[in-house]
Amino acid sequence: MGNSGRSAGRTAAGRFIDFKAMGPFMALVALFVLGALINDAFLSSGNLSNIFTRSAFIGIIAVGATFVITAGGIDLSVGSMAAFISGAMIVVMNTLIATLGAGVETVLLGIAVSVVLGVAAGAINGLVTTRGKIEAFIVTLGTMGIYRSLVTYMADGGTLSLDFAIRDTYRPLYYGDILGIPVPVVVFFAVAVGGYVLLNMTPFGRKCFAIGSNEQVARYSAIHVDRIKTLTYVIQGLCVSIATIIYVPRLGSASSSTGVLWELEAIAAVIIGGTMLKGGYGRIWGTVIGAIMLTTIGNILNLTDVISNYLNGAVQGLIIIVAVLLQRGDWRRKKN
Amino acid sequence: MTIKSKFLPGILGAACAVALGFAATAAQAQEKIKIGVSIPAATHGWAGGLNWHAGEAEKRLEAAYPNLDIIIVTANGATEQANDLEDLVSVQNIDALVVLPFESDPLTVPVQQVKQAGKFVTVVDRGLSLPGIEDVYVAGNNPELGRVSGEYIKGRLDGKGKIVILRGIPTVIDEERVEGFLAEIEGTDIEVLDMKHANWNRDDGFEVMQDFLSRFPQIDAVWAQDDDIALGVIEAVNQADRADEMFIVGGAGMKDIIKRVMDGDALVPIDVLYPPSMIATAMDITALKFVSNGAVEGRYILGATVVTQENASNFYFPDSPF
Amino acid sequence: MKNAAKNAAEPVVSGQLRLSARQICKSFGAAQVLFDVPIDLYAGEVHALLGENGAGKSTLVKILSGYHAPDSGEIVLDGSPVSFDSSEDGEARGIILIHQELNLADQLTVEENIFLGREMTRGWFLDKAAMRDEAARLLAGLQCDIDPCTRIRDLPVSDRQMVEIAKALSKQADILILDEPTAVLTGREVDILFDQIRRLRERGVAILYISHKLDEIKAIADRVTVLRDGSHITTQAVAGLEKDDMARLMVGRDIAQMFPDQIADPSAPVVLSVRNLSVPGQVYDAGFDLRRGEVLGFAGIVGAGRTALMEAIIGLRPRSSGAILRDGQPVVIDNLRDAGRCGIAYLTKDRKGSGLLLNMEMRPNLTLLALDRFGRFLLNRKAEDAALEKAIAAFDIRAADRTTKVGDFSGGNQQKLLLAKVMECNPDIVIIDEPTRGIDIGTKSQIYHFIGDLTAQGKSVILLSSEMTEMLGLSDRIIVMAAGRITGILDGEDRTEHQIMRHATGISDNQGVSVHG
Repeated sequence: MGNSGRSAGRTAAGRFIDFKAMGPFMALVALFVLGALINDAFLSSGNLSNIFTRSAFIGIIAVGATFVITAGGIDLSVGSMAAFISGAMIVVMNTLIATLGAGVETVLLGIAVSVVLGVAAGAINGLVTTRGKIEAFIVTLGTMGIYRSLVTYMADGGTLSLDFAIRDTYRPLYYGDILGIPVPVVVFFAVAVGGYVLLNMTPFGRKCFAIGSNEQVARYSAIHVDRIKTLTYVIQGLCVSIATIIYVPRLGSASSSTGVLWELEAIAAVIIGGTMLKGGYGRIWGTVIGAIMLTTIGNILNLTDVISNYLNGAVQGLIIIVAVLLQRGDWRRKKN
Repeated sequence: MTIKSKFLPGILGAACAVALGFAATAAQAQEKIKIGVSIPAATHGWAGGLNWHAGEAEKRLEAAYPNLDIIIVTANGATEQANDLEDLVSVQNIDALVVLPFESDPLTVPVQQVKQAGKFVTVVDRGLSLPGIEDVYVAGNNPELGRVSGEYIKGRLDGKGKIVILRGIPTVIDEERVEGFLAEIEGTDIEVLDMKHANWNRDDGFEVMQDFLSRFPQIDAVWAQDDDIALGVIEAVNQADRADEMFIVGGAGMKDIIKRVMDGDALVPIDVLYPPSMIATAMDITALKFVSNGAVEGRYILGATVVTQENASNFYFPDSPF
Repeated sequence: MKNAAKNAAEPVVSGQLRLSARQICKSFGAAQVLFDVPIDLYAGEVHALLGENGAGKSTLVKILSGYHAPDSGEIVLDGSPVSFDSSEDGEARGIILIHQELNLADQLTVEENIFLGREMTRGWFLDKAAMRDEAARLLAGLQCDIDPCTRIRDLPVSDRQMVEIAKALSKQADILILDEPTAVLTGREVDILFDQIRRLRERGVAILYISHKLDEIKAIADRVTVLRDGSHITTQAVAGLEKDDMARLMVGRDIAQMFPDQIADPSAPVVLSVRNLSVPGQVYDAGFDLRRGEVLGFAGIVGAGRTALMEAIIGLRPRSSGAILRDGQPVVIDNLRDAGRCGIAYLTKDRKGSGLLLNMEMRPNLTLLALDRFGRFLLNRKAEDAALEKAIAAFDIRAADRTTKVGDFSGGNQQKLLLAKVMECNPDIVIIDEPTRGIDIGTKSQIYHFIGDLTAQGKSVILLSSEMTEMLGLSDRIIVMAAGRITGILDGEDRTEHQIMRHATGISDNQGVSVHG
């Protein structure tokens, strides 16, 4: 609140175009224009389908991260968690093939395992954070290492591969489509809609906002702060599990390099989308756009050889910063 | 000992116990030859294979030569590996070291110190930055891997066609392989449409290949350089339903790829070896130094063997994680 | 009125004109908050700036000290026009504003705060000893017994105020602007502060003193400038003004009746009983009865354990013993939800820290406590908007528009919103802790009447307040606490300031009075 005096000077004109809401969307449109200019193939239906499908993993995880971050927390363990759950799913399904055969039952059981593990992993993050009164950063940094080691251990340091017998049964969950829209995109959209309803239209979402903006006020407003915070981590875990369910059929494998840095990509998507890293304000649609933006940057870089490969990271970093600058919009009114 | 400690003050007894313990260890060490093996932890597929082969070689060598004691330590980074080296010398008191350095520069001096402590040193895969430290050098041949791959693609395409290249993580290894490849196809009508880094990672391989497929209507061959990348490329090509149009050349010798070659998969006709089992080779050579009277010092560069359907079964290890 | 103002603009003391502003205008967005406001400040005077919340006092002093630039108008310092780029610029010229919300770094010590940003050094290193000595000297000058090595977070608010003043003095301020410095101070601390202000005045410091406490202005100020709705009303010598005159000038009308009529029925049934309640280290064996329709005051000096007792009753603080009876039936209250189920609501005294979400607009704030009433799974926006509509009307909340963040509201409007928020869960018993801290007299009166309305509806109110007039004006009975114990229960004629102080300071010897008043 220290700068309330200065920021009180926002003008009526500033409200006319809501930069905060439109910023990420405009940045995405700009990226698409750039992509179309760079290569004709960019706007081909195949490429667009690739972009949206690829965005699904990070996007679904980022929807969960929006809850955690809105309620003032952070979860660094999602990438490792995704790798661990993928590994566990593959091991379980490979084992079940012997008894249940390579049918739908095996896949459904694999999915069930994924959901149970995701919810449990989220609950562990949440409970240790709230009950143990330890900063979420440290707790999830710890579980990040644990899950990463577990998947390495399960794979003996190598790669866990899904039995080829079951791949054909499971394959449509990534490669299939519903009414011409790839399944991952449909799932992503459904998760985003669900996330939007939960965050913006329910008492639970409102409580997340309240806790993120001031935990003390939330406590004095008869909100079970610990319970709500734990639930945000459970939602995060569930989202990781959903992302994993559609990730596994893509390559049918998991290794210790699966999901590396996904946590940072998810957090970046959330922040690009306009959610405040310190909590108290979250936007699911912003997150969705943020996730699509991150994928689009990578896609555009793959479609051109104008920029040296060695500079890819720099371009990505630059675009992320510009997108957030646009979205914060404060640069427009430095002084009264 | 127990009788003694009844008569002597407790503290003296304890001191005796410690002293005797040391003596026992020292005596054992005199009987057994200790070989320390320091390698990167299994954080990616190839390193996983490395760990597996090191473990297998330990079992095999210790069974064959009862007076050998092999100690494997794994590190997650150069600093950790340097600490491991110190411990191997000071705590374990090894006679020989087999080391696959995490990075060349930071580990040159730590390995040099092991050498100066009078140990026999075998360096694997990544050479040190100063010459003359190691007694034995065992390595795969990165430029040769690139060259052999180029040679095959050149032959298959009759010196004419369009290819894409998926590179690894920007490092010296990646540079050497790509240079070897490009030199081999120079002067032919093979056009490299583009090269992108896929970081020796399946997911990146999948996505980069998806984008290549959107971008280029005709691709005759893919040089994926690495089997992890190749696996991602295979899925992307199958998704785009363009498997008939091209073939893929990977590298390393991952069992999944070797299996495809063995089964005659048209999409993956060959693989080029850069085997993680080179650690076993290095351990064998080092062991020979102590159990045979033949000279072993020198440089051992493994060929970049081409795996074809005919010879694939020789390189297929179904139990290996890689 | 304006003519009279010009005549009275002459200083009462014979100092030199230091700072003067002419025709200051300022707008935030579409809303103009200052209209052609003038002010003069002479060396060696205490000049009070009086006005309701939202009158533009804070904006004016922020302009004078360089936090804001005026849209138009002129500021003259020692005869030459100036324009400050920033508050640092103002401070460099000896003008220091001490904010209502103190700007101290909680985790740093007193000494570190005083010298923050201009640390004394010896060579490359901090000269801790010198800073500690200087801090101790400054604090001693304020007759303030604070160890310079204490961390700010361990100090009571009143001591923090003293640290702010010491910090300003260490910057050689000769124009000192105090924005409601006594809002969080107790009576004794106010006296010390006033002594210090008088001493500064003798040293020739020009002091601009913002307050809406008329007593204080009477006591300390030489002249007073009154602002109303962003316009200058008058500048006069305080000597010729009565408190009623000042209130009228400030509000623009007579405040007919400050407090509502008291209507409590002494034979009404007891709705809440507390027995033998203890909180380790804070409250010992406290018990009382609350009747239907009464205002039960809790008086005592800061740290007497009143807030701890109330927070223990509603389950916000663990208690080591004690029973709570609601309408004669024992109830278990372990958290605020339980309290809500028993029809008990609590209005915190810290409206910014634990009352309202300052970065949000009104609607989510209003319904936060009673959120479950607005939908089990999906929130009913329409119901929320209707509730907001109703609350704005019922509590006279004046906000420019509904998307304004609550943090930008005046204190009075925040307090009204907080009251509305608590009433959303429709409690029978309302515990109100410091209902009018930092609020102007017009809004105060409104809030008193809201409290009167509650009791008229048959609800009961527990009032915690450190303002004596409010305690006496509102309460039917007054319980006095000292050092964690209830030391007196005052009823009828006994409800006097003298009696309260006697019990609050422990002069009375009837410790541990009977529970039933």
